[in-house]
Amino acid sequence: MTRKQKRLVVIGGGVAFLLAAVLLVMFAFSQSIAYFYVPGDLQTENVAPGTRIRLGGLVEAGSVRRGEGSTITFTVTDTLATVPVTYTGILPDLFREGQGVVAEGALGGDGLFVADTVLAKHDETYMPKDVADRLEAQGVQLSGKETIK
Amino acid sequence: MLFWILVAILTAAVAVALILPLLRRTETVAAGGSHDVAVYRDQLEELKRDEAAGLIGSGEAEIARAEVARRLIAATRNADTGTIDPAGRRNRLAQAVVILLLPALGLCLYLATGRPDLPSQPLAQRLADPGNDVSILIAKAENHLARNPGDGAGWEVLAPIYVRNGRLEDAVNAYAQAARLLGASPERLDGRAEALIMLADGIVTDEARKLFEQSVSLAPDNPRARYYLALALEQEGDRDAARAAYEALAKGSPADAPWLSLVNRHIAGLSGETADTAAGNPTAADIAAAQDMSTEDRGQMIAGMVESLAAKLADDPADLEGWQRLIRSYVVLDQRPQAQAALRTALKRFPAESQNGRTLLALARDLSIPVEDVGQ
Amino acid sequence: MIIELGHYALVLALATTIIQCLLPLAGTLRNDRALMAVAPAAALAGFLLVLFSFCVLTFAYVVSDFSVVNVWENSHSLKPMIYKISGVWGNHEGSMMLWLLILAIFSALVAVFGSNLPERLRANVLAVQGLISTAFGLFILLTSNPFLRLSPAPAEGRDLNPVLQDIGLAIHPPLLYLGYVGFSLCFSFAIAALIDGRIDAAWARWVRPWALAAWSFLTAGIAMGSYWAYYELGWGGWWFWDPVENASFIPWLAGTALLHSAIVMEKREALKIWTVLLAILTFSMSLLGTFLVRSGVLTSVHAFATDPTRGIFILGILVFFIGGALSLFAFRATTLKAGGLFQPISREGALVLNNLILTTAAATVLTGTLYPLMLEAVTGEKISVGPPFFNLTFGLLMIPLLLAVPFGPLLAWKRGDLLAAGQRLFAAAGIGLTVAAIALYIERGGPIMAYFGIATGVYLIVGALTDLWLRAGIGKVAPSVAWRRFKGLPGSAFGTALAHLGVGVMLVGIVAVTAFETEHVVEMKPGMQVEAGGFVLTYDGMRSGQGPNYSEDSAHFTVARGGVAVTEIWSSKRMYTARRMPTTEAGIRTFGLSQLYVSLGDEMTGGGIVVRVWWKPMILCIWFGALIMMAGGTVSLCDRRLRVGAPQKARRMKPAVEAAE
Repeated sequence: MTRKQKRLVVIGGGVAFLLAAVLLVMFAFSQSIAYFYVPGDLQTENVAPGTRIRLGGLVEAGSVRRGEGSTITFTVTDTLATVPVTYTGILPDLFREGQGVVAEGALGGDGLFVADTVLAKHDETYMPKDVADRLEAQGVQLSGKETIK
Repeated sequence: MLFWILVAILTAAVAVALILPLLRRTETVAAGGSHDVAVYRDQLEELKRDEAAGLIGSGEAEIARAEVARRLIAATRNADTGTIDPAGRRNRLAQAVVILLLPALGLCLYLATGRPDLPSQPLAQRLADPGNDVSILIAKAENHLARNPGDGAGWEVLAPIYVRNGRLEDAVNAYAQAARLLGASPERLDGRAEALIMLADGIVTDEARKLFEQSVSLAPDNPRARYYLALALEQEGDRDAARAAYEALAKGSPADAPWLSLVNRHIAGLSGETADTAAGNPTAADIAAAQDMSTEDRGQMIAGMVESLAAKLADDPADLEGWQRLIRSYVVLDQRPQAQAALRTALKRFPAESQNGRTLLALARDLSIPVEDVGQ
Repeated sequence: MIIELGHYALVLALATTIIQCLLPLAGTLRNDRALMAVAPAAALAGFLLVLFSFCVLTFAYVVSDFSVVNVWENSHSLKPMIYKISGVWGNHEGSMMLWLLILAIFSALVAVFGSNLPERLRANVLAVQGLISTAFGLFILLTSNPFLRLSPAPAEGRDLNPVLQDIGLAIHPPLLYLGYVGFSLCFSFAIAALIDGRIDAAWARWVRPWALAAWSFLTAGIAMGSYWAYYELGWGGWWFWDPVENASFIPWLAGTALLHSAIVMEKREALKIWTVLLAILTFSMSLLGTFLVRSGVLTSVHAFATDPTRGIFILGILVFFIGGALSLFAFRATTLKAGGLFQPISREGALVLNNLILTTAAATVLTGTLYPLMLEAVTGEKISVGPPFFNLTFGLLMIPLLLAVPFGPLLAWKRGDLLAAGQRLFAAAGIGLTVAAIALYIERGGPIMAYFGIATGVYLIVGALTDLWLRAGIGKVAPSVAWRRFKGLPGSAFGTALAHLGVGVMLVGIVAVTAFETEHVVEMKPGMQVEAGGFVLTYDGMRSGQGPNYSEDSAHFTVARGGVAVTEIWSSKRMYTARRMPTTEAGIRTFGLSQLYVSLGDEMTGGGIVVRVWWKPMILCIWFGALIMMAGGTVSLCDRRLRVGAPQKARRMKPAVEAAE
């Protein structure tokens, strides 16, 4: 092999590696991206049961029910529509009725959202940005959100 | 004055530090190359070490040595040629830049946001000399209680002050602590329950009702607790039972009791044919009246003063201090809606973005007046 | 008054950094030594001013001066002293002050210890540092001034976010920033070289200590942050692929690549242009990380600053520095002479492979972090890219790199023998597989990939030791000679071995805890028991307590093995009074390298409480591995050869060279 050929082999190997990495990234994206919805979206858009999504909104006041063991059901609302959610596990410290929440999981066939992760707002002045944006867009007055800082 | 002297000294010191190098005699700059030589010398040393240690074969070492040596020679040649002629200029311009830029930029930027008039205000110093700043007095008591959480009398003194300053949640806690440490008494239980009611916007909550029941069991002729228990019944919609309770309270009270008029009003409301809305949730004035059941009314005089202050501010709205006093007074009188209204009016005069506006908002936060809607 | 003096010192520092940037650049343009000499003086003056300003801010926190808005917003008079101090950088304004301070520290270090640098290079480096300091000084003064005042002063502060009131978070940001900002020096060196259009052979030697130091700090900072998230957030996770974590991880990957390519450049004068580019990219990633965290563009569990004007300002800084640096690079790179040639199979080749994989991995993580932001900006659609994406892409990319790591040090420069190196690593691979087989025998089950993971980890550890073994010639020469050779090995050889060994230790920890951890979520009443990792936990009951600025409910557990009580665990939930914010304080007990982790959930009606119990086998290996890597960086930093080219030596050598001619 001449020096030129060798260099070509090295460069070719590098390019092939990068190409493989790009394909890998695209494949991983197609596998593991979760779209963000608020309950109102789920009525207008068709989300197939079993698709992994993130559901954001407010925890409806009075909707939290404790079931067997550590299973909890509650309702997420954007004031236009509501979606029942079930979750097994420990809720974040800041999970409260009437406050913002993001649940990650999938819709069951019966309209029940089975969450495997539940994120609550993280401090008094912080509301998950997705939730805040979407709710504000729908004209929902956010409780406890400071407007003067 | 001392501040400006220090600012001047600081600026001058920095300017001198920056100008000194400019004043030194300039010499020739030797170009690079010598550093490369050092690196290659070191690489040769390392090769020698590695070869001696047997880390690389002698053949490999020879090739490597030849390569390094070639670079070494090239670098040495570079080192010889690279001289640059001296720049013996005086750098007047550079000195001017330093002398002008430091104070000009420093003062411009500083004066835009700085508050040279404000002294430092360490908390300890403010606590030692609180003046008439109520919030500092409270903070002082809080500090004391944080160190001596077992001082029940302290909690007892602090609790009503919290109520007057609108810090209801703290008041609930303070009453609870006092009751825990000194034992339950009608005053402690009633005070806590009343704070809870204020927190719930006048609704006698379950928790408050239980406290009043406990209070009545301790002192059956406690008119304050009995009034609220009757009110609870009324709020639940049990009009007959509520009326009976009010009537029993009225019957058991002396004829000149100051709360009789309030109780009678409720009785009248409940007797009326139509459900009278006025008898539903108590107004702020009702609560104030209810408090009179245990304490003398001292607010009358203050209220008069506040009214005249408000009138004065309507004529002369530029009086920032007057607004602060007015807002504070309303909170002390527990007239929070008025306090909020006053804040809103004051903010029209002093926008929220201005320094004075921020002062007002800080005061509002201190007094826990909600600022969400007034600031917009 | 002292507060205002601190404020003024900060403004003056900005003016000083502007001078630090302008005059030395003019000096190198005009070959004027006097102008160049302003650089170190300005760097030192700027450092002292920022230091004073930072101390004043800290003082305001210590004495609870609530007339300072920043103190009022983030402190509380009852907070323990350590959190009053750490509260200084526990918020946006203060953390930017820390950024600026560390930037000033690094500038001052170059000014003091950089006397071995060629004058032009030092002047240019300090000028670029001055430019960065100016940008951040302006940012602080115009958008995030921590010295704004409030009058009348409130009586009590609003307290620091309780999750941030922790010793881990007191240390984490300074370490992380030492890393982030440390790479600014590599950036400045690269820009200085591009401005001059030439790179000395010694350039890599001057850059490498700074890169090593920054890398070591960043490693420690990331590990600290990971451990903090692990024990403080109460979820038992040690890495979430959270954008904020990624923001620090991307510069780490780029910085690791930079460290390795700088070796090639120093030893072989190859990869010059690439190394310069990498130095620019690494700091660009640090800036990007700062932008992501500080601008609040992320939906993240721990971004705590949200203000668009700040975001746009930092974006401006980002575009200016990255854009400017890359333009300069495109303009000047061709003037840098390319260096030595090498075969694909050689030490250089191995390091190129390392760079290829590490930069690809960095790009992958960057893509996963930025893609949701881009998509939202373009189409308005909101998506989240979760851990599965990163685990798949990053995990797969790491496999070839991890397998190749032990080969690198065993290959010769210029032309290596892959087969010989492979033979030398037989033992390492054999030991790795044996350990995995023993683990399989003990555990009896679990995913088969986990055992390969463990085998790889052990192979990395033994492989790193093999390098030292061979270099000392143990078994080939007399023990006394081997010992002498071992002692005589350069610090960088130990550094390399330690760092690679650390990777192996960390891998073992990651694999073990991912594959073999057990988790139980149960509702418990006093007296009930739960079994985890061979231990039996008995829930004894709750106790209420009062801390300085919080109240807490603690659950007590007795831990027994084989019926004998071994230890006890307290796990609690706290309520911070000022912000009315609850936090979980997990109860953690360490057994060797493994941990038992208990966190509390909600109280149920009827006296029960939801309890989450994890058994985390070998989890400490993850952070020990990071510490070993960091130790490797430090040992390498002590290598006396990095100090060669020091002025005394250079000057002493110069006559010798001349004499030799």
